[in-house]
Amino acid sequence: MANADGGAYSYSLTVFSPSGKLVQIEHALAAVAQGTTSLGIKATNGIVIATEKKSSSILIDSSMLDKVSIICPNIGFVYSGMGPDFRILVNSARKSAQAYWKMYGEYPPTRVLTQEIASVMQKATQSGGVRPYGVSLLVAGWDANRGPSLYQVDPSGSFWAWKASAIGKNMVNAKTFLEKRYNDDISLEDAIHTALLTLKEGFEGQMTEKTIEIGIITVPELNSFGEQEKEGGETGRPKPAFRKLTEEEVRDYLAL
Amino acid sequence: MQYNGGSIVAMVGKNCVAIASDLRLGNQALTIATDFEKVFPITDRIYLGMAGLATDVLTLRERFRFRVNMYSIKEEREIEPKTLAQLVSSTLYERRFGPYFIEPIIAGLTDSSKGSQPFIASADLIGCLNFAKDFVVVGTAEDKLLGVAEGLWEPDLEPEDLFETISQTLLNAVDRDAFSGWGAVVHVITPDKVITRTLKGRMD
Amino acid sequence: MDSSNIYKKSGFDFSNQIRNNFLAAKGVPVPKATSTGTTIVGCLFKDGIVLGADTRATAGEIIADKNCEKVVNPSCCGAGTAADTEFTTALISSNLELHSLSTGRKPRVVTAMTMLKQMLFQYQGHIGAALVLGGVDVTGPHLFTIHPHGSTDKLPYVTMGSGSLAAMAVFEAGWKAGMERQEAIDLVSAAISAGIFNDLGSGSNVDVCVITKERTDMLRNYIKPNERVTKERHYKFTRGTTAYQSENIRKYIVDESITYLTGSATTATTAEEAMDVS
Repeated sequence: MANADGGAYSYSLTVFSPSGKLVQIEHALAAVAQGTTSLGIKATNGIVIATEKKSSSILIDSSMLDKVSIICPNIGFVYSGMGPDFRILVNSARKSAQAYWKMYGEYPPTRVLTQEIASVMQKATQSGGVRPYGVSLLVAGWDANRGPSLYQVDPSGSFWAWKASAIGKNMVNAKTFLEKRYNDDISLEDAIHTALLTLKEGFEGQMTEKTIEIGIITVPELNSFGEQEKEGGETGRPKPAFRKLTEEEVRDYLAL
Repeated sequence: MQYNGGSIVAMVGKNCVAIASDLRLGNQALTIATDFEKVFPITDRIYLGMAGLATDVLTLRERFRFRVNMYSIKEEREIEPKTLAQLVSSTLYERRFGPYFIEPIIAGLTDSSKGSQPFIASADLIGCLNFAKDFVVVGTAEDKLLGVAEGLWEPDLEPEDLFETISQTLLNAVDRDAFSGWGAVVHVITPDKVITRTLKGRMD
Repeated sequence: MDSSNIYKKSGFDFSNQIRNNFLAAKGVPVPKATSTGTTIVGCLFKDGIVLGADTRATAGEIIADKNCEKVVNPSCCGAGTAADTEFTTALISSNLELHSLSTGRKPRVVTAMTMLKQMLFQYQGHIGAALVLGGVDVTGPHLFTIHPHGSTDKLPYVTMGSGSLAAMAVFEAGWKAGMERQEAIDLVSAAISAGIFNDLGSGSNVDVCVITKERTDMLRNYIKPNERVTKERHYKFTRGTTAYQSENIRKYIVDESITYLTGSATTATTAEEAMDVS
């Protein structure tokens, strides 16, 4: 009965091993650790999230690949791990953000959306007939209440706020690198450069605008009521605080 | 609306808002109670009033209390008046084809870090919001209240002056409404305190 | 994966209907919802679309709101049951946002129009939203009207609402193809003004929205032909006019006064300091 890895306890993910582990979650973390490196850095005036976009063959049209995803105008995700699992989470997060908007007339604060997506991931560790999501997420967002915030969500459904973090392959090295480089009054521009430098460590192949994806949060300007200016009058949507850098912009940052 | 009667008015002043309601609870033409409050505190600085069918007033008071409590626990902050208005509106529209028979009024001040701006809004029974800059009215004396308020309201009233204006507006309007009256209660919300006063009115 | 709907179950809740029907049978009528009597228009010009609306909201024969916003979404004006126009357009705009996030393209006007008409047709006219939808997308400028039952028209100039006849008269007389921006704004303002002055359901101010390929400009209260004159006198009551029976004050600033029961103030302070150290 007892064989490789978790032995008998690895069959049903909802059964604890005698040592108190849910082995499937550890396997999911292993899947994340095989994924390409992603990282996020919180700066004084914004956040950067970045990832390596690696295709297994030169024949793949990598322009169709999206690893940094916009959830709603003020929140973006990046992941390490399994792409298909990520897409499910992105869809669910987008729907959740829209449901919140319909209820309260504003987009969810980063923490609320993170909590929600974390509980989706948690459910997959406790329900029958499913497996945990094979992804870790970095959530970058801005809201009027807490300003910019960066969260990491793991397959277990646990989440933390970070000043800077890295996930996926090389995460240990990348984190050590970030620990050395990070300081509390880093600007967004510096953070983007630090992000690229961190990715460069242990990057296989050429770092170009085609193999890097970057998303940034820029703190929006507020009016005298402490609210975001809206596009097209009172009933319009707020201007986006999160956006993805275009290939041209990434190229410019790489050139520096 | 006429089944239980009742009217509410809210007005904007200088750095303050006021919300007032009558106190009647009727069963058609028969007055049952003269201490039926229709305005409830939601947070320290936001009050919500509901005019209409009394059973729905009480049901929705509890529902909104639940929703707002859940909101503040989850978001770790107090709800803003504008957000509450949206919440009220979407809760009512959810029942577009089987509505609650109430019309709500929200009166409050925004978070002090955002400058404590006065905010009032009303909605119809299916949640169509009306963000007015001056005053909002709902209830069986709606048309009378509109007329009196249109005449008496003026901008930038200090809390004490706003109290007089809203009190006189309400008392004079409900005097000509058979379904409202029997005393009134006025809340004046300022950044550092809420003054609640019970007014004497005609008891017929 | 049902997490997407934790805020609200999708769709409508009919659970009050049995009670409401019972009440109706007992002679308690369903109260009237706010409706926008309304004049709303839209017209094509050289570089895009101009939308226009009046700002009166009515409930029966009383004016519920003198300056409401009927350009509910930067690309859509609504007439009919006010809550319906508001929520229908919000729902569609939300779905369009999801659509454009998953396709990675900007939404098209026909897409919005199709989603709206499909929803309205599904509800067989019970959702009382009458809309003028205009916008510019990759395929150029488009202008539609959508009726509560789900029928649509695509025309170079359109009017809707109770003031539509007055407004259409102005368009029929004045519209021509390839107008300049200002010409179009003026024509739309004239059409709305015709509605404001000749239709009881419409009134107050003119809102205009200009949509071009590059940008959308909301010209809120572009013309205010019915401004209230400032009052000649103040109608302030002298303080104390209204007698009150009781007063209760909820104070948020706490003032403290300390009464020392034993010893002098100095000893009390030192005792407290001593405790702080421990």
